Amino acid sequence: MSFLEVRGLCLDTGDFQLSDMGLKAEKGDYLALIGPSGSGKSLLLETVIGFYGPEKGRIILEGKDITDLPPDMRQISIVYQDHMLFPHMNVFENIAYALRKKIRDKKQIETEVKQIAGVLGINELLHRKPETLSGGEKQRAALARSLVARPKLLLLDEPFSALDARTREKLRKMLKKAIADYSTTVLHVTHDFEDLWTLANRVVVIRKGEVMQAGDPESVFRRPSPDFVAEFLGTNVLKGKVKTLEGKLTVIEAEGLEIYSADPAEPGEEVTVSIRPEEVILARGAMESSARNTLRGRVSGVFKKEHLFVVELKMGSAEIKAIITPTSCEMLDLEPGREIYAVFKASNARIIR
Amino acid sequence: MQPLKYASINHSWFRNLTVGVTFFFTFLLFIAVGALLFVLKPSEILSALLSEEMFYSMKLSMLTSSASTLSVMCFSIPTAYALSRFSFKGKSLIKAILGLPMAFPELVMGLALLLLFGHGFLGPYLEAAGIKVTFSKLGIVVAQFFVAFPYAVRVIYSTFEDINPRYEQVSRSFGYGEFETFRHVTLPMARSGLFASSVITFARCIGAFGAVLVLAGGSYMNTEVLPVTLYLNISYGNLEMAVTSGILLMGIAFLAILSFERFEGGRL
Repeated sequence: MSFLEVRGLCLDTGDFQLSDMGLKAEKGDYLALIGPSGSGKSLLLETVIGFYGPEKGRIILEGKDITDLPPDMRQISIVYQDHMLFPHMNVFENIAYALRKKIRDKKQIETEVKQIAGVLGINELLHRKPETLSGGEKQRAALARSLVARPKLLLLDEPFSALDARTREKLRKMLKKAIADYSTTVLHVTHDFEDLWTLANRVVVIRKGEVMQAGDPESVFRRPSPDFVAEFLGTNVLKGKVKTLEGKLTVIEAEGLEIYSADPAEPGEEVTVSIRPEEVILARGAMESSARNTLRGRVSGVFKKEHLFVVELKMGSAEIKAIITPTSCEMLDLEPGREIYAVFKASNARIIR
Repeated sequence: MQPLKYASINHSWFRNLTVGVTFFFTFLLFIAVGALLFVLKPSEILSALLSEEMFYSMKLSMLTSSASTLSVMCFSIPTAYALSRFSFKGKSLIKAILGLPMAFPELVMGLALLLLFGHGFLGPYLEAAGIKVTFSKLGIVVAQFFVAFPYAVRVIYSTFEDINPRYEQVSRSFGYGEFETFRHVTLPMARSGLFASSVITFARCIGAFGAVLVLAGGSYMNTEVLPVTLYLNISYGNLEMAVTSGILLMGIAFLAILSFERFEGGRL
């Protein structure tokens, strides 16, 4: 039996819903829950912690059915995007509050608070009231408060989404260390794929209260389930038919393009090909490369996305996206209508089923 | 975030019109209230203040209003919390009933209470238990309670509504039960709203007239609170006593609003 098992959870709150939701986590797992807004990710967290009672389904934690337990009996903590530090207490009191039901000894409480404050770098802030802290400091204090209680399960509901990129990066590092120190199992709702790559060992894609795909980040991103997951993850998805086999390579005719894939398939088979946009290299001319796929097309748009650029290309009847650095963008002098070559390896053109 | 105060369009006609209306009516109100202060000489006010009747009335007003404020707060906090946090059958109806006394005249409230606590309904049972509500000092407290209760519930309800329930949920996740969470998190966070509510309640109680008059009777030096003193002395033609009790009521109301503004940050 897994450390956490969510079985067939159903709940309809009117605005959000869970329909036959099921997931598993092992002790020490870090699960990133991703999906479009309104897909029920936060509702899942609030049901697991006990703020909502499911209409159907069970929640099993460490082999014990906790579905009908009140939140105060579950030993699960939560950190929200808007920190929820108690405004009438300073940071020390906020963190100590989480311990007072477990520990009576004041000295021990102080030691525990200082220990977690050290891990999250907030020792200097302990006497401050939440209203005097910056967004990043508030979130560190909220994380400290939730971790200090050594919960069996820590739930994070977009804790970094209101912070700037630099603070987010700093906090991810601190969180990673704190999670390791306190060996906590985590469910983390996020829209930021960076959280997923740096923190999670498993990813769960949710849509309309249902799990669409789950697995390690590498496999989910490289082999997303066709249609929704692939589209949600921003993968290039091309539908086509296997034309022939050339040695170990599969040649696919997809949307007016000839694509070589290293994945096996049968001639005549209808397939969907997925290509991660960050694995597409752009060049002004056909280049000598070990990459088997070189496709010619035209730039249809260039957009900035955080510190990178997304280039949209029209190739045959297909639209392909590539993600490149600002330097490459400048060197290639990209503008709509310009002819361009998209290059990628056969091993990066994955057949998804 | 503070809303933008339209500093850059200072000289618009609309700004001048609204500010002008504000000044005009505040000035009228000030003149009306100020008139009370200038009708009598200071010596006349002093002699009215030191009279036995005024002393009795002030003392009874303070005692009954304190008792009713305390009772109102004890009952309005759980009522407002239940209305704010829980879903239950008949909630909308309860909210409507609680709002009624704010819409209909105090005299009607007094009459309703007189019927409830008089000989028709609860009166005989209460009197058998040695409790006399009608035409007694207890009647003053009961009347004040029912006049102020809906206001208190409304202010406290909006205070609880302003507190994100997630604070309570986070507290629950640390092992605190519902009541412990209410005591350690909700109540301290509602502190300024509760203070504001108790001030408004006290002001409503001390100024309650119609309901007090009908239920407790306005009898001289017995159930005589400040508004009754004002009413009785106008009837006798004793302007000194009437105006002085008016000044006292106004002073109390002014202090109440001042504290309300200070603790609520002037959220008019």
